[in-house]
Amino acid sequence: MKKIVLGISGGVSFLIFLILLFVSRSLGEAQESQTMAERWSDKKDVAQVSCFFSVNAGITEDRIIDFEHSVDGALTEASVIQESENPSARLWADAYSADGQVTLSSDKSTLSADAIGIGGDFFLFHPLKLLSGSYFSGNDLMQDYCIIDQDAAWQLFGSNNVAGMTVKIGGIPHIIAGVVERPSGRLEESAGLEGTLVYVSYQTLDELGSCNGLNHYEIIMPNPVTGFAEKLVREKLGTSEKETEVLENTSRYSFASRLKKITEFGTRSMNGRAIIYPYWENIARGYEDILAVITLFELLFLLYVIVLALVSFGIWWKHKGWTLRSAWLFVKDKAERAVEKHRAKRLERKRRKADGSGEKPVKKEKPFRKEKRAKKPKQPEV
Amino acid sequence: MKENEKNKREWVKTAAIIFLSVMLVLTFFSQSIMNYSLPEVATSYAQSGTITAKIRGTGVVESGDPYEVKVTETRKVSSVAVKVGQTVQKGDVLLYLEDAESDELKEARKTLEAAQDEYELMLLTAEITSSNIYSASEGVSVEVYRKQISNAQAAVKKAEEAKKAAEEAKKAADAAIPANPEGVSYEVLVGQIQQAIKDHETQIAYESSEAVKAQDEINVNNKQNALNNAEAALATAQDNYNAAVENGSDEETVNNAWAAVCNAQAIRDTAQNEYNQAAAVRDGRPVTVANLQANLETWKLRLYNLQKDQTAATTTTEAGKKTAEEALAAAQADLDAKQAELKSLVDNINNVIKLEQQLDKIDKAQTTVDELTAKSVNATVTADISGTVTQVNVTAGNNTSASSPVVVLQPEGAGYTLSFSVTNEQAKRLSVGDKADLVNAWRYDDVEVTLASIKPDKQDPSQKKQLTFNVTGNVTAGQSFSVSVGQKSANYDIIVPNSAIREDSNGKFILIVESKPSPLGNRYMATRVDVEVLASDDTQSAISGALNGYEYVITTANKPVEAGKLVRMPE
Repeated sequence: MKKIVLGISGGVSFLIFLILLFVSRSLGEAQESQTMAERWSDKKDVAQVSCFFSVNAGITEDRIIDFEHSVDGALTEASVIQESENPSARLWADAYSADGQVTLSSDKSTLSADAIGIGGDFFLFHPLKLLSGSYFSGNDLMQDYCIIDQDAAWQLFGSNNVAGMTVKIGGIPHIIAGVVERPSGRLEESAGLEGTLVYVSYQTLDELGSCNGLNHYEIIMPNPVTGFAEKLVREKLGTSEKETEVLENTSRYSFASRLKKITEFGTRSMNGRAIIYPYWENIARGYEDILAVITLFELLFLLYVIVLALVSFGIWWKHKGWTLRSAWLFVKDKAERAVEKHRAKRLERKRRKADGSGEKPVKKEKPFRKEKRAKKPKQPEV
Repeated sequence: MKENEKNKREWVKTAAIIFLSVMLVLTFFSQSIMNYSLPEVATSYAQSGTITAKIRGTGVVESGDPYEVKVTETRKVSSVAVKVGQTVQKGDVLLYLEDAESDELKEARKTLEAAQDEYELMLLTAEITSSNIYSASEGVSVEVYRKQISNAQAAVKKAEEAKKAAEEAKKAADAAIPANPEGVSYEVLVGQIQQAIKDHETQIAYESSEAVKAQDEINVNNKQNALNNAEAALATAQDNYNAAVENGSDEETVNNAWAAVCNAQAIRDTAQNEYNQAAAVRDGRPVTVANLQANLETWKLRLYNLQKDQTAATTTTEAGKKTAEEALAAAQADLDAKQAELKSLVDNINNVIKLEQQLDKIDKAQTTVDELTAKSVNATVTADISGTVTQVNVTAGNNTSASSPVVVLQPEGAGYTLSFSVTNEQAKRLSVGDKADLVNAWRYDDVEVTLASIKPDKQDPSQKKQLTFNVTGNVTAGQSFSVSVGQKSANYDIIVPNSAIREDSNGKFILIVESKPSPLGNRYMATRVDVEVLASDDTQSAISGALNGYEYVITTANKPVEAGKLVRMPE
């Protein structure tokens, strides 16, 4: 009875371990802002790197343009070249953004909202759910677009289907490129998505809104060796340790990273930098904590199964009815018998050959069958 | 026992029925159940159409040639007579100013007093003479000054020339060397004569020396001996000849003896000659010496005379030098005097001019004070031109400021402009002359906006361009216009919404929906098609790729869609 209970508990533990493994994996994969690398390339040769700056870091668009040029140089040096036949293919893509506030006004009403001023291909990294319209890019010809969430759309126009309509920001008309659904949930709301959020171009935020300075940068780029991309960003874009934080998103939910998070328990919450995380980073950090706990449980359940297995193996070993020697002899005996049998067979064959008796027609059937098969593919030609 | 068996059979039957019905339900609803797990996608039809990339911008309409009315004093405005948008005629009153002494008037008074004080202070300085003051107050014409100065300058020039001539004369006098009438300098002549005297003395000493005498004596003796020998030889030869003749020797011997006699004769003659010469030389010496002595005396006399002449000539030259020096000094003194005259003239004129300037200053300050005093009562500001009021920068009760305009007028007939800056990339797509469309065009009738110039933006010349548009029609300055301007629209075969364009490391692509018939209705699969974006506007992009133009393109989905996976179309 005791054995059965232990066996069942071991099985259940292993099952729970598997379920936790699956849950943690799917939780990590569900973070779209962190899984750009999987969307960007099927091969595992790219890395997504994020960089957060404090307000005092003094990062400007010019600085980022300089960095973009240095990326090309570094990739050439590492002899990473474009292999795709599609002429529009890029080796890397990047995005930067800034926090701030803007005031939008439609004919009906006016709305002050938190805003993210974007540059580069921001929405490649952060594919929000579009309710209507499309994304825009910092590389577009015009930069007078904005993307609003359904709350803002409702407050400004009373409808969600407002892509293509015009709102004024700082007196300048802007076209609503799309309406997105604002992610909701406990983590999301605490992360900075509790109120309306508007996405405008960095230029618009800088000139027509109140901007807190460029504070996030992201890049997806080839990673020929582990840590290549992160090192490049840290060296070429990072200012001082106090003002910058660089992290590789692609490996942040890997098992090794999660184990590391567990070892950082207690120190992880400490912060000596004046860096304000954007909402997606806050969410990602939240999930890091959750995954660390799940990983801890995974380890506990796995440990239970392993201990149980070891103990039962020990008990079984003790009570087994044989010794290593008896097993050896058994195997040896078997082997000798097999050799004997083989030898007998050979002798038999030799004897038959000497007799010249015909068992050969049976063997001839095989070539005959092969010919038939070989002919089959030729039939369509006829 | 039988009861038990029956129960068992019932149980198996129930289980079988339940199993079969579950299988039936699953079979029928499998499609729906599977569909539920698939991402639902929204699609759009790829079609041909036009793409027009527009550049938009917002600017404020400005007067092309604004006229700014300024009040040069700081005055309080009592009332404003015009409003923005009002049309005014030339001479119309724009502002009424309160009666008050303006800051500028006070300042002008102060300036006047300061100028007067300064003038008085000037009069007290020693350099100013009463004639200066008189000239200044009367106002001497420039012509007179110029004449005086040019006269003085001419005098100076003349004196300079005289001085130069004197210098030349002095130089010539300095260079003059005393010379005798023959034109050879005394010094050379004296030298020559002295040399001759010296030569003579040497010659005399030589001729009369004992050594020469002894030498002469020896010479004579030698020649004497030679003569004696020659005579002896002649005598011998004579004897030989005589002997030959006497002896009756043959002709040849006689001839030879004769030849020898002739030869000896010749030798003796020569010896005689040489002896005579030597004797002559010896005997001639005292005569030569006497002659030389006589010559020497003559030379000495000439030297004496010459030196006398030389002294006289040198005295004359020195006198000439002294005269030239005196003339030069006089010329210099004259020049100095003339220069001093010129300087004093210039100083005088300067003084007069200074005084005149100061008087002018006082006059001007007085005029300003008078003008401002006149303005300080019942003052108005009037329009200098006809036009429309576009700005009024003051209100009643406020002070005007001298630097900023109080009213800005748009002159009749002058145009309006509108400008804003764009990036270089945007500017590349535009050309001067492009017509711009007004956003919300229905609000304005007959307003035309045309791109007039593309110039580097002064604030960021390397990255941005300033677009300036001409605006015509029913507009007023200060209106804000949003315009869009762009190339003509181009036709493309395949156009999809911007939201359909995706990108990864293999480049841009779209996902199209392919339907596959299955026994339980159609199944839809997302298929990747690599594309190249040819052009984009606000909502659509023209693409090229392996498409025939009639595909359903996925624009958005409720879950991430992967190429090659099944998707669900909305019901």
